[in-house]
Amino acid sequence: MALIELKTVSKIYTLGSQEVIAVKDFSLQLEKGEFCVLAGPSGSGKTTLLNLIGCLDQPSAGEVWLEGRNVATVPAKELAAIRLNKIGFIFQSYNLIPVLTAAENAEFTLMLQGMDKKVRREKVRRWFVDLGLEGLEERKPSDLSGGQQQRVAIARAMASDPAVILADEPTANLDSQTSEELLAVMQRLNEERGATFVFSSHDPLVIAHGKRVVRLVDGHLESDQCVS
Amino acid sequence: MLYQLALRNIWRNRRRTLLTLSAMVVSSALLILSLGIFSGMLYDMLASATEQYYGHMVISAKGYQDDRDMFLNFSLTTPLEQQLERKEILGYSPRLRGFGLLSHDQESAPGEILGVKPALERGVTGLADALTAGSYLETGDRNGVVLGSGLARRLKVVPGDELVFVTQAADGSVGNDLLEVRGIFTTGDVGHDNALALVPLPWLQNVIALPERIHEIAVRTDQPLNVAALAREFRARLPSGLEILDWGEMLPEMREVVASYDVSRLIIVIILYIATALGILNTFFMSVMERTREFGVLMAIGMKPGQVRRMVLLETFFMGSLALVCGVLLGLGLSLYMAEVGIDLSGTLTPITYAGGTILPRLHAVIEPGNVYIPASCLLVISLLAGFLPANRAARMQPVVAIRED
Amino acid sequence: MPIFFRLKIFPAILALSALMTGFSLPVAAEDFNLAGLVRRVEQQYTGQSSISRVEMDVVTGHWERHLTMESWSLGRERFLIRILSPAKEKGVATLKVEREVWNFLPKVDRVIRIPPSMMGGAWMGSHITNDDLVKANHIDEDYHFTLLAETAEQWTIEGIPRPDAPVIWGKIIYQVRKEPLVPIQIEYYDEEGVLVRRILFDDVQTIGERTVPLRMTVLPLEKPDEKTVMHYRDLQFDVELSEDFFSLAELKRRR
Ligand SMILES: Nc1ncnc2c1ncn2[C@@H]1O[C@H](COP(=O)(O)OP(=O)(O)OP(=O)(O)O)[C@@H](O)[C@H]1O
Ligand SMILES: [Mg+2]
Repeated sequence: MALIELKTVSKIYTLGSQEVIAVKDFSLQLEKGEFCVLAGPSGSGKTTLLNLIGCLDQPSAGEVWLEGRNVATVPAKELAAIRLNKIGFIFQSYNLIPVLTAAENAEFTLMLQGMDKKVRREKVRRWFVDLGLEGLEERKPSDLSGGQQQRVAIARAMASDPAVILADEPTANLDSQTSEELLAVMQRLNEERGATFVFSSHDPLVIAHGKRVVRLVDGHLESDQCVS
Repeated sequence: MLYQLALRNIWRNRRRTLLTLSAMVVSSALLILSLGIFSGMLYDMLASATEQYYGHMVISAKGYQDDRDMFLNFSLTTPLEQQLERKEILGYSPRLRGFGLLSHDQESAPGEILGVKPALERGVTGLADALTAGSYLETGDRNGVVLGSGLARRLKVVPGDELVFVTQAADGSVGNDLLEVRGIFTTGDVGHDNALALVPLPWLQNVIALPERIHEIAVRTDQPLNVAALAREFRARLPSGLEILDWGEMLPEMREVVASYDVSRLIIVIILYIATALGILNTFFMSVMERTREFGVLMAIGMKPGQVRRMVLLETFFMGSLALVCGVLLGLGLSLYMAEVGIDLSGTLTPITYAGGTILPRLHAVIEPGNVYIPASCLLVISLLAGFLPANRAARMQPVVAIRED
Repeated sequence: MPIFFRLKIFPAILALSALMTGFSLPVAAEDFNLAGLVRRVEQQYTGQSSISRVEMDVVTGHWERHLTMESWSLGRERFLIRILSPAKEKGVATLKVEREVWNFLPKVDRVIRIPPSMMGGAWMGSHITNDDLVKANHIDEDYHFTLLAETAEQWTIEGIPRPDAPVIWGKIIYQVRKEPLVPIQIEYYDEEGVLVRRILFDDVQTIGERTVPLRMTVLPLEKPDEKTVMHYRDLQFDVELSEDFFSLAELKRRR
């Protein structure tokens, strides 16, 4: 059973009388432990696809299966719980909560999971050590660099032990060196901990890091290659 | 952490929060103050009737208060005195009442004469504090009289002058004797100022031939507005033939005024808060709309709509509570000032007598629990209500849409 | 609650005056006219004087009093009455000159003028008010009279107040015996038409040329157990009295 399975998924937006086809008859299987990049130019449907995988959006047609469960059959109320427990999100513009400290941001999903305060403190502390964020726990996001913010976002996503981490253009706002560093972190987590990553990018340098490269053009699957 | 988050969110836009807070604080503080002043007027009114004349409760022979038949009298017995010795009762004054003619030289005027024990009467009525000339009766005074300023003017007397009181005594004879004016009081209540005179109890007992008898015991309590319960308790244990009436029974109109105050207070609070509520609503909507993307992120990473709603409501609740605390403190402070110092308006206004009481020409606050907790709890309810719409709005956001927003 | 017991019976004083000045008046049949009769009765007092000793018994639910008083009158506008007993009130006196009433209180040695607002007060603890002393004599001007019934022995006359008259009764009904011409009974109705008071006259005696009922009983009907009885003793008419006699100095004289 695949971790994630997209079965001829389409997403069609309507803009007034115009239909915008963001994703068309897209099928994909993702297994546990993958390090997969969705590559494609702007407007090719990467974000739309990640939203569908992340249960943030429903497909216009087709099915999204997560751990053998058809997401469409999951009651709306449970979707939040699935996102909380199964999926970690990393956003292009970090999207940390500005009023919380770095550590608190990382703790947030654990808090939502109802984890004991001490336990989550400790867990986050270890993640911060792991991600080279030591000493930044009490900083507010605005006092962190983009790379640091994005690493906090990784800590937030990783902390809740999700089945898959979805990252929409995680490096788009970072300079190339920081991007490299961040990708290295993600890669390490994938290799050492077996964390499943699905991230999008249009940057060839970033795409080159993917072990599996899924190319999108105009919402279609153009190619799906495994690099080893 | 939800609490921390809510708390911190409040302080995000410090200026806006402070502006909203100050609007809330000022409106609630002013409300508390104005209700305090309103209460002050009510208390003045009630006090002019009870604390300058009736007392909060009156014990008398059954039916006496209906037409003040001089023959409905009784004696103050030791058991009755013991019954009156309790902490809720701040003072009681046995009184004998006579109606008759007061005369000085060529002038004469009808008057109501209250025979009192000066020390005890001081514990019930504040006439001693309303003196405008001379002094109050002293314990042991044989034939002094303290009378209303209107009466004194009509009789053309000043302290030291002599008065004749003549009435029909209880034995049918023409009771009469001399009095010496000790003091003159002005209460603002025209009825009392023009007709009331206080004399030593034994003097009046002798003149109207009712030795050792009294007509009523006026009682002052520590809780004038809750006197009915105390009166009920007394009623059950009074000697037969006696009755106890609280001020509400003696002054039913006043009771209605007081009762309607509770309603009008609520109306005032609601009207004033509608404006405040609109301000709060506006602020919270703005703060929620500004954070659309953030709510999207929160929901994307797994926060349930219910939690989002709760968070926004918490924010409004915190703000409401903060405003409440500051508003109550400021309101109490202002009220306290107005209670201690007040503003005298007697230069521009004259007293108004209404429903048996007199509203004095002054701004003077009385601090009453209802004047604080009603505006305070309304403020909280209103900030929660004002927070409810934005909170719902936040909770109903679609994370995809919200995140995309820039 | 009125200042004094409010028992308005000013016509009692009319009767009182009538007793003191005589009531006997032959009426010619040809000029028989009720208003005229009353007016002539009223005019009959003018210029007349009297001295009397009066015993007054007042019975109320709370006390019984027996007073003896001496009184002087001159016309209908001057009147002085002084208590002789009981000892406690000896010397208490009332002077009426026209519309003013004074009381003298020997105990405090002061004269008190009764203000207009106190005219409703009981006079000397009786069922007669101060008002009666002042207004009584204007009854012929304030009321309009009609003959209700006539028998061989008596007239029944109804007095209804004139529209703008300052009176307190709604109706007064006189029963007057023809021969000798003396009142038997006067009944007073309030403005609602309820009979509230009755005055009875008896002990008819001839004093000099006048025939008068010496005893007058005032019955306040709302208090069935109460009454005031005035009984005239030593009644003398047409004595030597000048207006000067009715002075404050005389009021204060102690005997
Ligand atoms: N809510 C929407 N309503 C209408 N059209 C939309 C909506 N969201 C996306 N689209 C359209 O769908 C298409 C795919 O968009 P999507 O954001 O998935 O592309 P992308 O590959 O993430 O592009 P980019 O690199 O610019 O982020 C685009 O043409 C876009 O304009
Ligand atoms: Mg995109």
